[in-house]
Amino acid sequence: MNAPAIIVNDLSKRYGNSHGVLALDHVNLSIAGGTVFGLMGPNGAGKTTLIKVLTGISDITSGTASVAGFDVKKESLKVRARIGWVAAEVILEDDFSTWENLWLQARLQDLKGWEERAEQLLQYFGLLDRKDDKVSHYSTGMRKKLEIALALLHQPTVIFMDEPTIGLDVATRRMLWDIVTGIHKEFGVTILLTTHYIEEADALCDRIAIIDRGRIVAEGTPSELKSQVKSDIVSLETSEAIDSSILSKIPGVQEVRAQGNDWIIQVAASEEFLPHLFATVRPDEIRRISVEKPSLETVFLQLTGHRIAEEEPMHDIRKFYAQMRRARA
Amino acid sequence: MRSQLWGLYVREVLRTFRNPFVVLVTLVQPFMWLAFFGSSFNNLAAASGKFGSGSYFAFLLPGTLSTSMLSVGMFGSMSTIQDKRFGFMKRILITPTSKQTIFLSKAFGAATRGLVQVPVMVVAAIVFGVSFPLSPIEWTGWILALLLLAIGFSSLFLAMTAPSTDWQTPGVVSNFITMPLMFASAALFPSTSFPSWMQAISNVNPITFSAELGRSFLLGTSVDWMNLGYLAVFAVLMLVIGYLVSARWLKVE
Repeated sequence: MNAPAIIVNDLSKRYGNSHGVLALDHVNLSIAGGTVFGLMGPNGAGKTTLIKVLTGISDITSGTASVAGFDVKKESLKVRARIGWVAAEVILEDDFSTWENLWLQARLQDLKGWEERAEQLLQYFGLLDRKDDKVSHYSTGMRKKLEIALALLHQPTVIFMDEPTIGLDVATRRMLWDIVTGIHKEFGVTILLTTHYIEEADALCDRIAIIDRGRIVAEGTPSELKSQVKSDIVSLETSEAIDSSILSKIPGVQEVRAQGNDWIIQVAASEEFLPHLFATVRPDEIRRISVEKPSLETVFLQLTGHRIAEEEPMHDIRKFYAQMRRARA
Repeated sequence: MRSQLWGLYVREVLRTFRNPFVVLVTLVQPFMWLAFFGSSFNNLAAASGKFGSGSYFAFLLPGTLSTSMLSVGMFGSMSTIQDKRFGFMKRILITPTSKQTIFLSKAFGAATRGLVQVPVMVVAAIVFGVSFPLSPIEWTGWILALLLLAIGFSSLFLAMTAPSTDWQTPGVVSNFITMPLMFASAALFPSTSFPSWMQAISNVNPITFSAELGRSFLLGTSVDWMNLGYLAVFAVLMLVIGYLVSARWLKVE
């Protein structure tokens, strides 16, 4: 394995004063050079904060971190000369042409003789014939490509990609996955990406850390993580309240979690569990049922007790309608 | 730092002049001062005899150009806040570029934008019948005075708005600064007829130094070069304050 490109040691980040939000809670990570590393977690888990801290945009509250062999706090300028950054929302100078954007980036990175590299990158991303076009005329996919070209211009050791495919249509997302895999192979750069799309982490990353409420709750290759989960997840919605002890007593049930009439039941094998379930709960009481085999989603669910794609807003809406009904009655 | 400063400065200037609306406002606004304010006062000023030998336009031009340097500061602040809101500040800072370099590029960019008004105003003034002496040293001194004033005010604005990410801040700060500094100066009227407390402000107001220097040049009286010295002190002081404030308080987003 290569030497680590990123080392994070007992890192905490608190916003504001000592009562502020603890966005990162004693995080430890070691990311090997030349790998694609995924930071997976729901919105607000601390993914973006970790990127901000590692790129020097945010201060560290306690702990240490180094990127490309340099301390993030003490050698910030050296770190920033060796990293590239791709934002969730594409950030380009819209009044500039493609080439002018590259010129500005070269200036910011204090590069000499960057033109040849810039042309190679444009060639690689298929933008060479559009190099004098204003970027405000570009499609989202082209803007994203240019942003990645900007991040690669100074031959960085590490590239940070914050939610690289958020808000993109399916075709553009697939294209971006190919690009991430492609630049990783072509340029040998270490990539740290954050995502809350499970299939993205699964498809792109050599290793994944699952982050929730500022804490790393698991880390490993996608298959290692999936093998941690031996059980299936059965999600159930019932029309009436039922006693959870009835469900726990069914053979093979490992854990039962309830949220109102929504149940998340962890079972050894769903094939054996379902007949028992239908014998215990009357079928007309079941509004909805689904079964999930081990996946990164179930890993996350098992580790954190909630899903990556939060369902709370739905509950809020239901609560809201329930209140409305009560108010009318 | 030179590489980054040049890149960001060019960005400021190009961005300004690629926006046709900005160009229009930059060019038309000082012209309107001469056209409306100048014309409304011209006869009254001639009758009072307190505005020197030439027309009121010759009196007003150096003053209006000086007050224009106040408003360019506001545009520098607005472009900084736009960079914070659109994330461009992050794009810049995730490169080996310091916050101070960003500050300097904004201050010089805004000052450049201010100076573009000079040739436009000179042409407008010629249209209104002002004649210009042909002395290169005094021309240079006058333009240098305006440049120092513009750098000073844009630095002041940038320092005051460094911690803010709110679109409204530059406008609020501008309202707070512009009105007292514009009227408590020798820009529009001779300060000799001010009440003493306003004279006191006017005597230390950098706009007065710049307006008087330009006016003595245009009206053919002897130029007091000390004004240029005061302006240099003002510009350097504001640059230093802005530099230090940016390092400490310039917000990223």
